[in-house]
Amino acid sequence: MKREISDKTILEKFAEDFVKIVEKYCRYIIVSGFVAIIHGRSRGTEDIDMIIERISKEKFIELHKAITEAGFECMQTNDPEILYSGYLMNNTSIRYTRKGEFLPEMEIKLAKDELDEIQLNTRIKLPEINKNIYFSSIEMNIAFKEEYLKSDKDMEDARHLRIVYEEKIDEHRINEIKKQIRRIRMRK
Amino acid sequence: MEQVERWAKYVKEHPEEWKKKLKPFLDSQIIIANRFYKKLSETEEGRKKIQKIIELKC
Repeated sequence: MKREISDKTILEKFAEDFVKIVEKYCRYIIVSGFVAIIHGRSRGTEDIDMIIERISKEKFIELHKAITEAGFECMQTNDPEILYSGYLMNNTSIRYTRKGEFLPEMEIKLAKDELDEIQLNTRIKLPEINKNIYFSSIEMNIAFKEEYLKSDKDMEDARHLRIVYEEKIDEHRINEIKKQIRRIRMRK
Repeated sequence: MEQVERWAKYVKEHPEEWKKKLKPFLDSQIIIANRFYKKLSETEEGRKKIQKIIELKC
């Protein structure tokens, strides 16, 4: 899946510019819809989902400052203390866009449980797709979409990834992740 | 789902071509939406609507 720089979509360039800042401050992963879209899934989206490790308030204040200085703004407020204590610590996402633009958005959440930690610890780069962005693993994305999210759109995303990665997917790993999802997120 | 599978197979079998077909579709969605919101933000009423949309998302 070799591609030229000019092939990159607005969404992909936005993601690259954003992660370039975030990676200086903490570990992150891009999850869910954008993972399918960057692999050719033909559907629209207006946001990219990012999970970052549980950083301290002080560290987040530095991160927010760097993000805004790089030309992004937060939709909720420009006050990093409110963003951290009022949103992130309550497991509510915060959204950034480029200044003066409405879309796309980067939707950020703090890692909230053991499963998010596993996602961060097993994050990968996919050099044939994009060498600059860390993603949660393909197995992780498929498992979440099939076991937890389950909307028509998510099931189609999972099917798309299954076909594109047909020979490479570790089915045993997907089943293990599904068990973890049931135990940690669904308390089953 | 059938259409999703057909397209996924095309992506897999045409690694150098799918992006050229998909990029205009993905980009135009963002461009058109931004154009709409910019137009909407030109009036006080439009800005209130945008604020309501932001509140819905947050």
